[in-house]
Amino acid sequence: MSSRTRQLIEVLRIKLGEARPLAQPAPARPVQAKARASSGPKGVPRVVTSHQRREAVERFAQEASKHTTALVGIGSVGTRYATDTVLQFQAELAVAHEAVGAVLPKGWAESKGLLPLKSRVSDHRQFLLRPDLGRRLDESSVALINEEVAKDVDVQPILADGLSAVACMGAGMELLEAFTRECQGRGLSVGTPLCAQFARVWLEDEIGELTRAKVAVILLGERPGLGTGDGLSAYLVYEPKVGKTDGDRNMMSNIHARGTPPEQAGKRLAVLVGAMLEQRRSGVDLDLSALSAELGEAAGLGYRAPQEREQLVEVSR
Amino acid sequence: MILEPILPRVLSVRRIPAAHAALLESYGADLSRHTSLGLVTCDQDDATYVALDEATKHSPVDVIYARSFYAGSDHASGRLSGEILGVIAGSDPEEVDEGLNALLRCLEHDACFYSADEKGEIAVFPHVISSLGHYLSKEAGLEVGDSMAYLVAPPMEFSIGVDAALKAAEVEAKKIFPPPTETNYAAAYLAGEQCACEAAAEAFAEAVVEVGRRPLTR
Repeated sequence: MSSRTRQLIEVLRIKLGEARPLAQPAPARPVQAKARASSGPKGVPRVVTSHQRREAVERFAQEASKHTTALVGIGSVGTRYATDTVLQFQAELAVAHEAVGAVLPKGWAESKGLLPLKSRVSDHRQFLLRPDLGRRLDESSVALINEEVAKDVDVQPILADGLSAVACMGAGMELLEAFTRECQGRGLSVGTPLCAQFARVWLEDEIGELTRAKVAVILLGERPGLGTGDGLSAYLVYEPKVGKTDGDRNMMSNIHARGTPPEQAGKRLAVLVGAMLEQRRSGVDLDLSALSAELGEAAGLGYRAPQEREQLVEVSR
Repeated sequence: MILEPILPRVLSVRRIPAAHAALLESYGADLSRHTSLGLVTCDQDDATYVALDEATKHSPVDVIYARSFYAGSDHASGRLSGEILGVIAGSDPEEVDEGLNALLRCLEHDACFYSADEKGEIAVFPHVISSLGHYLSKEAGLEVGDSMAYLVAPPMEFSIGVDAALKAAEVEAKKIFPPPTETNYAAAYLAGEQCACEAAAEAFAEAVVEVGRRPLTR
């Protein structure tokens, strides 16, 4: 804490012929608990604040915060959050809002060499309000698939905007290419690359059914969370057809630079596809116990490193 | 050594999480908003007024009571009395805690008297508040966030000093407390742009030092 008045006085002292610099104020010490007010402590007595009473708890919370991006160990000021916490929260929320509000620009799919499909949703607002419409293809997209898309493939990959077009445009192509490469490397036939707009996860059922693919994989922007507007998720389903439930699907979330990087995710997804083709099932029935070496933490075993929290706001103290 | 900080000594700091209504009322609390009290005594009244105001900037607390004691800390009623009792009140003990923390930080690192002569027999308080809190802004008839020069010195030094301060910059005298006040000092609240307040405080301190050096030269 700097004192403007002390700065002024320091200058004035020199002007009045005092050569020695002003004694520096003691560095701001954390307020410490005093034993007893009546014991007559020297200097400035300390107040026992609720902050110190919670000190042990906070130490634990701060340690815990190293292992999560959840907002733990952030302390308090009175009954409120500290300024930096509030600003960081608002900045992270803004990132999420921006991602939710983003729309794939016209012609984006074509520019990436993908066949553009669309759900029955007519605009972005309707997309957010009507999940049911986002799960079915519109008529022209059905016709497009029937005419132009390869049929009877092992894997049908679908890139989609989902709830974050930002994520789709960010690492979407990288993930799609990595996944396609890994599948082909395992000798699987991969379908025509598609890009679906205003798409919900279940859209993969109808697309997969039309292309008669053995496994459909939709790679789409996931619901943005605090500070992560760029996360992709992948949902895989064996023998896709309209009417499959979430119990029939396997999924991988948090595919982004700070979570599972697209390159690594592509490989793990290909491993999952291989398992589905081998066991002829997907979802809760799929046995992943033999795959822990290849899937690593994705198999639910072993240490999972905490995600790093990106510092969006800096507050000088 | 001139203009050496004379650091305020906080003599007692206590908190009452849920104060009795009679006590709250006697110190001027608003019973609909105030539950908890924070009380402080200190051997420098003016530094404490500034620190109480600082508390209102950091926490939703009100300064409900702050009075200087007669004849200053050298004539205190007890070891812990000093020359002022300040009372902040809030709706919650946590808020009062934060207010007290801000108050103590201010007393430790910002507001203080300075020695105006070599022997330390004259004290001067040429303090600039960049941005007023709820308390002093009300006392001075200013708005929250205004800048203010808070100037204090003994009677003769103050008179010469405040005249120099008012002539040194575009400042307005919002309040002048001529001697004798409770502590027998004299004080003034001068308002203006922050840079004007700073120029006024400097001129004040310089004039006080000058009076100390040549008290009998007309």
